[in-house]
Amino acid sequence: MISLLLILLPLVTAVVLLFVRTPVAVRGIALVGALITFVTATLLPGSAGLLTPWIPGFGAYLALDPNYAGGILALVASLVMLPTALWASLRVEVNPNRFLSALFAMWGGLMGLFLARDLVLFYVFWEFTLLPSLAMLAGWGGTQRRQATLKYLLYAVAGSFAMLLSVAAIRPLSGAESYLFVDLLAASETLDVLTQTWLFAGFALAFAVKLPLFPVHHWLVDFHEQNHPSGAADVAGALYKVGGFGMFAWALPLLPEGAVQAAPWLLALGAFTAAYAAVIAARQHHLKRLLAYASLSHMGLVAVGLFGLHLAGLSGAMYLLAAQMVTTGGMFLISGMLHARRGSFDADSYGGLASSAPALAATTLLVLFASIGVPGLANFPGEFLALLGAFQASSAAGVLALVAVIAAGVYGVNLYQRLYQGPEPTPVVDLRPLEVVVLAPIVAGTLWLGLAPAPPLRAFQADASVTVRQVQQAAARAEPLAAFEAPAVTEALAAFEGAAVNEPLAAFEEVER
Amino acid sequence: MTVPEGFIVWSVLAPALILFGFALLTLLLAVFQQDRGFLAGVALTGIAGAAVFAFHLLMEAQHGVAESGFGLRYLADAHASALTLVILLGTALAVLVGQGTLERMRLDHPEYFPLLLLSATGGVVMVSAGDLITLLLGLEILSLPVYVLAAWRSDLRQSQEAGLKYFLLGAFASALFIYGIALTYGAGGHFDYANLMAAFSASGFEANLVALLGGAFLLAGLGFKVALAPFHQWAPDVYTGAPTPVTTFMSVVVKTAAFGALLRIAATVFASLEPGVFGGLLPGVLVVLVGATLIVGNLGALLQPGVKRMLSYSAVAHAGYLGLAVLAAGDRGMAAAGFYLAAYTLMNAGVFAALTQVMDDDDRGDGIDRFAGLARSRPWLAAAMAVCLLSLAGIPPFAGFIGKVLVIQGAFGTGHGFLAALAILMSIVAVVYYARVVVAMYFREPSGAVRTQPSRSRPVGAAIAIAVIGTIVLGIAPGLWYTLLDRGQNLLVFVAAR
Repeated sequence: MISLLLILLPLVTAVVLLFVRTPVAVRGIALVGALITFVTATLLPGSAGLLTPWIPGFGAYLALDPNYAGGILALVASLVMLPTALWASLRVEVNPNRFLSALFAMWGGLMGLFLARDLVLFYVFWEFTLLPSLAMLAGWGGTQRRQATLKYLLYAVAGSFAMLLSVAAIRPLSGAESYLFVDLLAASETLDVLTQTWLFAGFALAFAVKLPLFPVHHWLVDFHEQNHPSGAADVAGALYKVGGFGMFAWALPLLPEGAVQAAPWLLALGAFTAAYAAVIAARQHHLKRLLAYASLSHMGLVAVGLFGLHLAGLSGAMYLLAAQMVTTGGMFLISGMLHARRGSFDADSYGGLASSAPALAATTLLVLFASIGVPGLANFPGEFLALLGAFQASSAAGVLALVAVIAAGVYGVNLYQRLYQGPEPTPVVDLRPLEVVVLAPIVAGTLWLGLAPAPPLRAFQADASVTVRQVQQAAARAEPLAAFEAPAVTEALAAFEGAAVNEPLAAFEEVER
Repeated sequence: MTVPEGFIVWSVLAPALILFGFALLTLLLAVFQQDRGFLAGVALTGIAGAAVFAFHLLMEAQHGVAESGFGLRYLADAHASALTLVILLGTALAVLVGQGTLERMRLDHPEYFPLLLLSATGGVVMVSAGDLITLLLGLEILSLPVYVLAAWRSDLRQSQEAGLKYFLLGAFASALFIYGIALTYGAGGHFDYANLMAAFSASGFEANLVALLGGAFLLAGLGFKVALAPFHQWAPDVYTGAPTPVTTFMSVVVKTAAFGALLRIAATVFASLEPGVFGGLLPGVLVVLVGATLIVGNLGALLQPGVKRMLSYSAVAHAGYLGLAVLAAGDRGMAAAGFYLAAYTLMNAGVFAALTQVMDDDDRGDGIDRFAGLARSRPWLAAAMAVCLLSLAGIPPFAGFIGKVLVIQGAFGTGHGFLAALAILMSIVAVVYYARVVVAMYFREPSGAVRTQPSRSRPVGAAIAIAVIGTIVLGIAPGLWYTLLDRGQNLLVFVAAR
């Protein structure tokens, strides 16, 4: 019930907001809706799921499982959405009720996407979430919004329709009882390598667009640059980078043989994306473009973790996904606060803010350090494990991905210098009380994910082990297609038994203690 | 399920008879009573009455007591009753749209409502037919009023042309269809489906080639009505040339009726042919037609500057998606098509209804400029239009998405994965042309030269509201409708299996 409530609460808030006009009422409803939704999200771990027929005869269920990996992502996403909704209600001036309505609709859609354990239901939420995301960009974007929206729409739809083909095909082809994850998992063996590879390709295209990965990432930068200057829509966009979750939750475990065929290529792409985006980020002057590339680089690391097809990498990738929600989301909120002070996203036009706004500077430093993977803060455990997984699969990919981590240090520290150090042209106001409230959950999340990684990691690991088992069985069962022979993966599988896997987790548990 | 007995079963005939009776009644009343609202009310009452009986029959079919009349020549199983309801829904929406716009368009002749009801009667007969002659009667009853309606705006050349073109090609299609009946009769020695099935599946049946030719001609005849390529050429011109309320009716009701009949024939008569060289030939032909329809309809729509003409091509494209369900035939395919047709009726009627609020009184001005800035001047209309268009594009959580998943799953289930992939590829094209309108409504500034239609009509508003709410409800809770379709069995298949 809690799961269903978590999806419905934001959606109801979204509908109510459409009919409210007075600014005070809009803010009030948004605040109350956000708080109630967030409190509901905190009740999520351990709560009962939902399983009820949705389209009988077609095999689609309303199946929600809060105890799957997605439950943790839903919780973290809610933690980030709470301040975002508050911030948007303060900063959006034109039609704030509709903007907030779209934001809450995205919140509801994301919750459904993370919690769904029926493939058709997952697809519905996956695609539904696109609509408010498009609406925010289209309605409140910058001067180039039309072009950015069309680009985003085309990439997203082309990807999702490829996935739709796989979604529709997987049940009739495998003969599964229903579209429930468990039923599809049980029936996945019946699919031969070639079919699995094709189906996997359909999923991979959709997930690569939303991960995003290198050749299909073009929409991302325009998307962030053109979105509303408050940064609220960007935060929602950062949460909507769910391609990695789709891979983890659906494509990899259900189509292990296809995954084994495709993994080396996607691993290479992920590593390249990470390095390429990090290097480009270091050269950006536009604050949001920089953050977009930084986020793209993180997503490359997520991909690297996933396509190592290794227990540590898989769980690390999910952890990094959760952590980047907080850190990237936090950075976009901060960018919105900076824009509120100076009206510009040109990083070079700032400088020396630390002396007049020390609290803002300190918060930025914390979130920025978390974002570039400083140990003890949110991104580090995930990045470390993802890289570990990558090295197990292919050291070349690991080294390439490592470039991203190093470059992150460069662009991160450089950004802080450009914004906060040096001579100060004109003093700015330090954090206002409401801004402190907005940033508090971000700081809390950064510290929480940095200092107590073991419980979520353990949950991710439990779910990742399903994938690893599937991949192992697939490798044992099928001879790989000659053309796609992937020594790296086989090595990774051999190494899986090794003690290396459990060591990092033990280390984190110590840190926690 | 029990095998129905009795020759004249009034409850089975009730939906068609009520529609027919009310068609005559509205015609008679129109002589004395010029009030359009009154006539529309009478027409809607008739539709509601027919719907009550159709719904009753659908519920009975759920519990395994499907009925039929005249032996097995007029059926009332789940498929027939469900599609009857869809036809009634489409007709009701067309009545509302007509009531709200005809006066403004100066097309206000009282015969509009009786003609709609008569045509709908033909549609109901078509989806219920269990006999080729019954089907032919239904087809003609459906078509004749529509020929007149297409030429409703007698002072406009395009409308005249639409009527004439539709009539000539329709007559040609009927001729093909009758030839198909003759050949099928020659092969099987019967007109009714049940006996044809028995004849075709009997061992020692040797007239395979004649039966196939018959099937091909029947397919061509119905292919005209549903606008399958290459028999689609009339569709864009007729849909565009006819007054928009009439297009609303044609694009949904005629298509539902013809697809209902096509599905029935494909799933019973020609499914009984021995598979192999001959049995596989007919589906093979259909695969080519469906593939061509998907490509022609979608690419055609992409190239159209006018919105009404774009929607006309999009109606052709949707025949392609429905064709996938015909290929899947069997109970699954029929259930999928039944859902798709309901969704399509709602969203397509909704979008045409919204179109009447934007275009000029003389049915001109469907340029995309007309939609620029509509979101600001008429936010609710724009939102309704956006919902219908997104649903047509197959984006969740709207009904069109579920329909698309159902037919694509059916295509995979019967081994037409390639065609399913083509359908999806073409859906991406479809998103482009549907999105173009949404983009214009929400992004572009209204250009000063173009005057937006100030009309606001309550009946049309009601039609749009029904369509939009239905599209959303069927998208979120598709089980409400799909369960009814899925649980029912094809009566003829059941009888044959006994």
